[in-house]
Amino acid sequence: MPQIELAGKTYEVDEDGFLQELDKWNEEFAEAYAHVEDIEGKLTEEHWMVINYLRNYFQQFGIAPMIRKICKDLKIDMKKLYELFPTGPAKGACKLAGLSKPTGCV
Amino acid sequence: MKTLLKPADISMNADCLCPIEPGELAPLPPPYEDFNESIPTPLKPEKIKNIEASLDDTVAIGIPKPASREEEEALVRQFLSGLKKLFEKENNWTFLQPLTLSMEHCARCQTCSDACPAYEMSGRQEIYRPIFRSEVLRRIYKKYLRAGGKITARLTGDIDLNWTTIARLAELSYRCTLCRRCATVCPIGVDNGLITHEIRKLFSQEMGIAPKEIHDRGTLQHLKVGSTTGMTPAAAKDCAEFIQEEMEEITGYKVDIPWDVEGADILLLHNAGEMLAWPENVGAFAIIFQAAGLSWTMSSEAAGYDAVNYGLWYDDVQFARVAVKHADIARRLKVEKIVIGECGHAHKALTVIADRLLTGDLNVPRESALVTLESIVRSGRLKFDPRKNDFPVTLHDPCNVVRAMGIVEPQRRILRKIAPRFREMTPHGVENYCCGGGSGFAIMSGYNFTDWRNLVSSRKKFMQILNAFENERQDTPKYVCAPCSNCKGTIRDLIHYYDAEERSRLYYGGLVELMVNALDGMKKSMIRFGEKPSWE
Repeated sequence: MPQIELAGKTYEVDEDGFLQELDKWNEEFAEAYAHVEDIEGKLTEEHWMVINYLRNYFQQFGIAPMIRKICKDLKIDMKKLYELFPTGPAKGACKLAGLSKPTGCV
Repeated sequence: MKTLLKPADISMNADCLCPIEPGELAPLPPPYEDFNESIPTPLKPEKIKNIEASLDDTVAIGIPKPASREEEEALVRQFLSGLKKLFEKENNWTFLQPLTLSMEHCARCQTCSDACPAYEMSGRQEIYRPIFRSEVLRRIYKKYLRAGGKITARLTGDIDLNWTTIARLAELSYRCTLCRRCATVCPIGVDNGLITHEIRKLFSQEMGIAPKEIHDRGTLQHLKVGSTTGMTPAAAKDCAEFIQEEMEEITGYKVDIPWDVEGADILLLHNAGEMLAWPENVGAFAIIFQAAGLSWTMSSEAAGYDAVNYGLWYDDVQFARVAVKHADIARRLKVEKIVIGECGHAHKALTVIADRLLTGDLNVPRESALVTLESIVRSGRLKFDPRKNDFPVTLHDPCNVVRAMGIVEPQRRILRKIAPRFREMTPHGVENYCCGGGSGFAIMSGYNFTDWRNLVSSRKKFMQILNAFENERQDTPKYVCAPCSNCKGTIRDLIHYYDAEERSRLYYGGLVELMVNALDGMKKSMIRFGEKPSWE
């Protein structure tokens, strides 16, 4: 199993970099992971708004929400979402939020 | 030039049996020549040091190497025992006859090779020839399971049955999309696609070897949670609620997705991936069914809201578990028939293959949504304005629906009514080419497998699409209609990989989206080119 070292701690991830032990997620993980996903500087309030939304949804339903739903509920557009997470909402944002990789025919 | 590999070379001691060299793949037309030197991204040595990666510099499964001599011997024994079972009536009654016929009767005429898009597009790499892997299995079978086989093996080209041979064969069974175009051209009816399927089955059922996307995170998750996407019943309903709201914006009226309606005429089964990745497809079905006044329902029971049955591609036991669940849900809901949405493999799984499993009241009638939709269009209950679809459209034929089941015309009769600029690909219908994502490839994304798919197995489809639109202006948006979730995912990835939205303005989607787009009285259009990246 591949590992990634962030802010002095080691985490198990899958080959695409998704966190494997979901209970190990913490805010330092997201903060330290940001540069890997092409985010410059510290995470902003807007980043955290998306991350917290994703985590809440995941806790409730066990999956990541539809991208269009993220935009609608947070009142941001797709362009903004890509500005915040240059590697994309399904990859960058979900990885930082510590969600598992999407599965099935998606 | 490479020396031509023979089936016996599968056991050859080499770091890589058949690498794809830059420039070997079939050349792409402009403006895509800059991809002609591309090969799958090389894998880092540390990433593959403990797994089987010696076939072709590509890894689909990632089979761990045995840790000891004893372990290797045990694996070889397991393989042979599984192989024996494939040829026993009590262990393989469903596929024994076609398997035996295909094993006994190949004349090695190579007609199948010319029909295979992966072989052709790869620059004719010997290992991708449809009969290469079949011949490997055939020789192992004859040598080890037939009386006197070890003596005749020396004459035909001996295959040494060691771990490398077995592991390479497992990987090689995931370089064929099971599109079965080869089977339709064989003059004596040999089915090399079926042989590939049987090899995968042996590995999964007897040795626990299968790609994690289709087994662990696929079938097992489907049976445990309710969907291969990980969606629970609550998540499915939440998605549907959101879809209803979105559809209301398009139609201007309330759209209902009915759940668990006992006694409805139709139980509609969608690939659950649609709900997450292509919610407009699920929404468009709801709009059409509602407008046509059909009595229908979806099921919120675990597995009842996910039509997929990945077992079709690799494991009969898992297949049967899912198929019986689907049928049982329909039986208890007392519906008249199951209608299968735009998902190709679910079509073949539940309508054709499961037919031999479902007995008594479990054998609920099943119908393709393409047929249901056509009867709606022909009934005249809906009014279409084809001028709304004033853009070039071509149609992709999902192998499982079209070649495997012969459903060729319904979708075309619909398109002729609603898409004035519809044109066929060449060839099409039952002679179509696979999107390159069949048999699980669309969702297998470990290691560098996605590269292999985009470069090799999908290459023919990409060329066909470009060809269908060759007389159109570069800046005209073009729509590839692909009524199948797997095909859509594959075409989405193709467009992204080759930057084809930018270079050719290619877009893609299903059939129902086009129908709703042409529907009279809609407040907003359903298809909006370029408003967002189409791969999302």
